[in-house]
Amino acid sequence: MFKLIGAAVLVAAGGAAGMLVARDYARRPVEIRSIISALQMLETEIIYAATPLGEAMERVACATDGLVAGFFREASRSLSSGEGATAGEAWEKSLAGFYRQSSLTAGDFAILKNLGLALGRSGRADQEKHLKLACEQLKREMAGAEEAAAKNTRMWNYLGFCGALAAVIILY
Amino acid sequence: MAAAPPGKAYQYRPEIGFINDVGPVLPLKIRKIIPSVHSDLLVRLEEIRLRALRPLALGLDTGDVFINEAGTVVEDPEKAYLVSRDDVERCLGLVSGSSIYALEEEIKNGFITIPGGHRVGIAGKTVLESGRVRTLKYFSGVNIRISREVIGCARPLLPGIIDSEGGTIRHTMIFSPPRCGKTTVLRDAVRMISDGIPELGLPGRAVGLVDERSEIAGCYCGIPQRNVGLRTDVLDGCPKAEGMTMLLRSMGPSVIATDEIGGHEDVRALEEVLNAGVRVIFTVHGSSLEELAARPALNYLFRLGVVECFVQLGRDKRAGVVKGIFDSKKFLKAGAFQCLS
Repeated sequence: MFKLIGAAVLVAAGGAAGMLVARDYARRPVEIRSIISALQMLETEIIYAATPLGEAMERVACATDGLVAGFFREASRSLSSGEGATAGEAWEKSLAGFYRQSSLTAGDFAILKNLGLALGRSGRADQEKHLKLACEQLKREMAGAEEAAAKNTRMWNYLGFCGALAAVIILY
Repeated sequence: MAAAPPGKAYQYRPEIGFINDVGPVLPLKIRKIIPSVHSDLLVRLEEIRLRALRPLALGLDTGDVFINEAGTVVEDPEKAYLVSRDDVERCLGLVSGSSIYALEEEIKNGFITIPGGHRVGIAGKTVLESGRVRTLKYFSGVNIRISREVIGCARPLLPGIIDSEGGTIRHTMIFSPPRCGKTTVLRDAVRMISDGIPELGLPGRAVGLVDERSEIAGCYCGIPQRNVGLRTDVLDGCPKAEGMTMLLRSMGPSVIATDEIGGHEDVRALEEVLNAGVRVIFTVHGSSLEELAARPALNYLFRLGVVECFVQLGRDKRAGVVKGIFDSKKFLKAGAFQCLS
């Protein structure tokens, strides 16, 4: 009886672990797509409306949802708090929190961090270049992420269960 | 028992209320230093100068002083607080709300106006495009010029500006070298004309104010931060020549006021307004009538003979001291026209 319960627990745990890894693979392209879309909105606010950065980030936050909205809202709050933070510092602080909760990789994080260093520090033409560059880099990451998701999501979903089952059989 | 009152340096005085406007644009380290400066100095403060890798300087009415981290004046510049490049960058970030792109035109002109009407001048490396300044980069210096309202400072000018017989305002030129209070006096004159001066029997009049540098009305997001009167319409950030014509066409002013007339274009627009039945008050940089007459555009204006009153300002212990009021006849006697070619 105990063996049976132990086997069930093992299969459930293995399955859940596999699903968690698979979820990360599946979420990453979705998150990157959402960030690209948010950056394009930010670009519109900066280039065409010359909206001050804090307000532009708040508008982007209102137009997006989930983690990305939280990321932009937090950056906007830090910038407007009157504590003397630069745009780069506000962006990086918010990005660190977002990164912990997201499925982004270190490469995605580095692209966004570099963008933060340039945000709001130059004229419109220059800002456009920085935002477009970040979007292009993220699009490349997204292509890789989609490929990895197609390859690995199903595999990890099965691998968790199958690996656990294999372990159960070996242990029996 | 109540807490002991703060030291003299921390006592609130309305004259140092500018700290509420200026504080948020200063980097944190300097934000802590300024309120520590003795309030007697803060009352006389005209400028806060941040120059990268040089001492923190305060511009007072009597000249510059260096201050250390405790906010104390120091004679030796090496003992003063050394402004870092990061301080200057941060200050610019705070002034612009981390949105340099939103203030490209202001940066091209070299200054940004912050809430309260204080002007922040910027120095750095200019980026040229077809020989004209496109923008600035590598910011190296910031000069925060404190804007102060001195209610009633234009009162000594009233006998010159107002024609009590005709009950009208004379076309008036206010001139002085920089930092003698032209803008402050003009602002107060505009306020009084706009509100009316009951003791002189002058009712309030609609005044059109062209505030190209946002210094007179100190507009922030279009709203005047300074008292420029109940009947004053402000064209903020508008080129003077264009602004005067726009006001004339659109707002039906009795009086048009503007700051720092100098170029041919300004004088041509002024000529239009002077001949349109509107009274004009404007300021000009110059320390003497001879100096003014030596400038080609102003020389032309003098030849027209339409300006009726000339007010010369100077600086003794304070700015805004009236050195002389000349009507056009006295102006002739003063010999300025001898300089006209």
